[in-house]
Amino acid sequence: MNTSLAQRFIQKIALVYPTAKRWLYRFHGGVFPPYHKSLSLRQPIRPQLIPDRLILPLQQQVGQPAELLVEVGSYVKKNQLLAQSHKDANKDLVVPVHAPTSGFVEAIEAYSLPHASGLKAMSIVIKPDHKENAIDNVLNVNGALPETPQAIKEILFHAGIVGMGGAGFPSYAKLPKEKGKIHTLLINGAECEPFITCDDLLMQTKAHEIIQGAVIVADALGADKLLCGIESNKPEAIQAMQTAAAKTRVEIHIVQTVYPMGGQKQLIQELTGIEVPHNLHSVDLGLLMMNVATYAAIYRAVTFGEPLTSRLVTVSGLGLESPFNIQALIGTPFAVLANAAQPKVEIDYPLVMGGPMMGFQVQDNQVPVIKTTNCILANPPEPIEMQMPCIRCGECMDACPVNLLPQQLYWYSQSHEFDKVEKLNIADCIECGCCSYVCPSHIPLVQYYRHAKSEIKVIHAEVKAAEIAKQRHEFRLARIEREKLERETRLQAKKDAVKKQVADKLAQAGDSPESAVAPTQKSSPAVLAARAAAARRAAKSKATSTKDHNEPESDQLSPKTPVQEKMPTARRKAIEAAQKASEAAGTEKNPKTAAKNAAMAAAKKRALAKKQEVDAPPFESNDRPNETSTATSTEQRAANIPDVTDASQSTQTPDLTLDSTSEKLTKEVDDVTQNKRQKAIEAARKRARERQAKPPETN
Amino acid sequence: MNQPTRSSSPYVHNNQNVRKLMLQVQIAAFPALLMHIYIFGFGIVVQWLLAVATLLVVEYTMLKLRGRPVIPFITDMSALITITGLVFCIPPGAPWWIIVSGSTFALIFGKHLYGGLGYNPFNPAMLGYAFLLISFPVQMTQWIVPSEIAGYYMGFMDALQLVFMGHIPDISMDAITGATPLNEMRIGISQGVTVAETLNPLLSANDRSVHFMFGFSSWEWVNLSFLLGGLWMLYSRTIRWQFPVGFLGSLALMGFIFHAIDPNTYPPVDFVLLSGGTMLAAFFIITDPVTASTTPKGRFIYACGIGVLVYVIRSWGAFPDGIAFAIILMNIAVPLIDQYTQPRVFGHKH
Repeated sequence: MNTSLAQRFIQKIALVYPTAKRWLYRFHGGVFPPYHKSLSLRQPIRPQLIPDRLILPLQQQVGQPAELLVEVGSYVKKNQLLAQSHKDANKDLVVPVHAPTSGFVEAIEAYSLPHASGLKAMSIVIKPDHKENAIDNVLNVNGALPETPQAIKEILFHAGIVGMGGAGFPSYAKLPKEKGKIHTLLINGAECEPFITCDDLLMQTKAHEIIQGAVIVADALGADKLLCGIESNKPEAIQAMQTAAAKTRVEIHIVQTVYPMGGQKQLIQELTGIEVPHNLHSVDLGLLMMNVATYAAIYRAVTFGEPLTSRLVTVSGLGLESPFNIQALIGTPFAVLANAAQPKVEIDYPLVMGGPMMGFQVQDNQVPVIKTTNCILANPPEPIEMQMPCIRCGECMDACPVNLLPQQLYWYSQSHEFDKVEKLNIADCIECGCCSYVCPSHIPLVQYYRHAKSEIKVIHAEVKAAEIAKQRHEFRLARIEREKLERETRLQAKKDAVKKQVADKLAQAGDSPESAVAPTQKSSPAVLAARAAAARRAAKSKATSTKDHNEPESDQLSPKTPVQEKMPTARRKAIEAAQKASEAAGTEKNPKTAAKNAAMAAAKKRALAKKQEVDAPPFESNDRPNETSTATSTEQRAANIPDVTDASQSTQTPDLTLDSTSEKLTKEVDDVTQNKRQKAIEAARKRARERQAKPPETN
Repeated sequence: MNQPTRSSSPYVHNNQNVRKLMLQVQIAAFPALLMHIYIFGFGIVVQWLLAVATLLVVEYTMLKLRGRPVIPFITDMSALITITGLVFCIPPGAPWWIIVSGSTFALIFGKHLYGGLGYNPFNPAMLGYAFLLISFPVQMTQWIVPSEIAGYYMGFMDALQLVFMGHIPDISMDAITGATPLNEMRIGISQGVTVAETLNPLLSANDRSVHFMFGFSSWEWVNLSFLLGGLWMLYSRTIRWQFPVGFLGSLALMGFIFHAIDPNTYPPVDFVLLSGGTMLAAFFIITDPVTASTTPKGRFIYACGIGVLVYVIRSWGAFPDGIAFAIILMNIAVPLIDQYTQPRVFGHKH
């Protein structure tokens, strides 16, 4: 196109000094690997191929799996919605799944995903009936173009469109809500990875759809500028796109062929000159970039109401006799496509999803094509050279498109000095693989960075958890202190009141010779006395039938404690209620040891009632994962017991003397206690539910 | 280490490796080697063969002692570069034990004791050279006089005899050995002879056509052949431009400034740039990536530092050529330079 004189001059230099090509584009570094693109460009796009079965993972993108709508055995039509997202899809990044063809649901089970880890996910297995019974316009579009961001987001969401360049971020979530926020819409047609040609062919054959898709999005978002970047090694695609864009406002820019030109931040810089700051997303700057395939899918969804059920996939590699591109149904196993390209030898090595620079080996060659699968690569494994020590040559640094110091990152990653790795901005590493590609010592640098990144993530999580635990602990200490004070004052008041009451009652009852013994301190005689009193009162059989109220009480209390920080007042109320109850019930109270024994004995007798009123164990188990909370609850329990005994001590005196009266009193109080306890439990349950609803913050 | 296949991306490589890199350096040294042979005779060949023999023994022993695989590390060619650098620095007629002890010291103390290739903080060749300069100053300053001046060309057998026996039959040692131009210069200055007089062939002792071959002296020709090899390395991206540009630039600037201040005491720029081991250092020694700074700015600063130090040591120090010491001093500063010259990462505008 309009190459400047300087550029042409540099291109001349590049003929004798290849590295001069690095002066032709705006970002730093980059590499020029052998592209092998002609391999898969030799053939036209293959007609659709319907395999014996399709495997549709419920989760194909960043985010969460979709909710299943079909059952094993049900018949599905092409384009039918198989799994939907629940209401709050925006938050969880759920993308619906549609049937790529008609057939029966054969199974719903876990299958290996095309993911570096080989992890398995629930998938719908469809046995196609080859009839292609389709539901047309499943998205119910009426041909009207969406005019607001919300409208287009809605369509993208229901069409199940994700970023098809590789990252697979749900497209509806990528679009901003406000109109006019995006001023420049960018079309990524760079396709810089070697071997891959699916975008190239798409631009050659569906240029109109891409351009129109982009215009639709731009109109809906209120973007005025439309820029498309295509690498110079795709002249036919450039030609087709320029023709299709002729009467639109889309500007086609030819960009230098260099890896990783297709990187979002790299292409943005190349097209607009804007360097996206490390702490911002391009959307924050009013720039939105999507892949050509995504725009084409958007066009089909908006115009024909078609969901995303197939995509153009490159099947290439040095191990294949006739590599090709195919409009592959989502869910087609990799091996089916690879075998269709006539492997030179049987494929007993792992296939790669994506290009050789950033792709990954799949753990199982039967993994299905998903929405982000742009390439299936069958390169026979070649022996690699032995890893040598780093000689600090700096090739990696010269190649890094982000201008990091890969050699120093490696050095510190290797010695596990992750704080230094972080300081060298490893977070900005895009894992493009340029450094590993040029390393003369054959060090798998990117592997080191991935490891370091995950380690740093763990360290951060730990630091955060420790910080939260510390805050909690401090908060708890302060609260215990405060409560202790409050309790003491309250207790004092109660003590006085009870004393007075007892005195009154005594006066009423007339004679009470034993009351002289009353103010016993907490000692073994007192314990014995308490037991004796209890035994006498409980006329039926077991000695400790009713006096154990306080113990179950504290047991019920403990599950609440983990959430107490969130609702200190409510909790305090519960504690108060419990305390009141125990104090009231504790007219026949016992010291610590007795209380413990009592709890055990009581458990049997009151099992029935307890089951009804308290569902304490579920609460507890819910909270258990949180270690700090368990610790809190036990401590709380420990803190509660002396309390109760204190209270009981004070009421020992009337106990010993006023058997009959106190028994009646106890009964009454018992009922009150029941009510209060019920309330407390309700509150605790409610809190537990809330807690469950909210994901735990600590991890 | 030593996985059979790549376990994660990228699955492709540009097929460059350490051995190829080192061989490129070795190849680039050939013009200078041939020039050396043409001017000073076969002394350097004898020295080089001795050094290679020493290398094989030392590397094998050290790798065995360190429990490392011998074949991959002995064939990484890094030791060859070290001894080549060293061989160019010692007089071609020096006794055999000079190069043997120097190479041994360089490889053991300069490389293996630090953990082998990639882990040494000091340039091994320069460490060996410094060791020899300090330990055997007499042997290290007795250069063979260029054949054009001495009127005698040293063949391979003569060189062998000289290196192993200490003399060549029927030839007076005084006739064929002398000081290097740099040394002559410093002696001259210390005796009150002006730079111009020392450089002027008509006035100097060696009046037998110092300026031969297209106006360049023999030492200048050696330096120019190093320059040739260096330019090829720049082109093939074996070395980075910051090193020679920074080093030669700062050295030239120092030379220019002081020559302008006092032309009688300080030699002119062309002499500074084309004498001693200037070009050898600029393209072959300071470019050793292991011991140099790795950041682009850092490389430049590192090279400039060496240039300044070389001039300082040459002009006012106790040694005729300060390259070894200048490089070792700057090696010490490398971690600091690296720390403060980190490039701006994409998206991090300050």
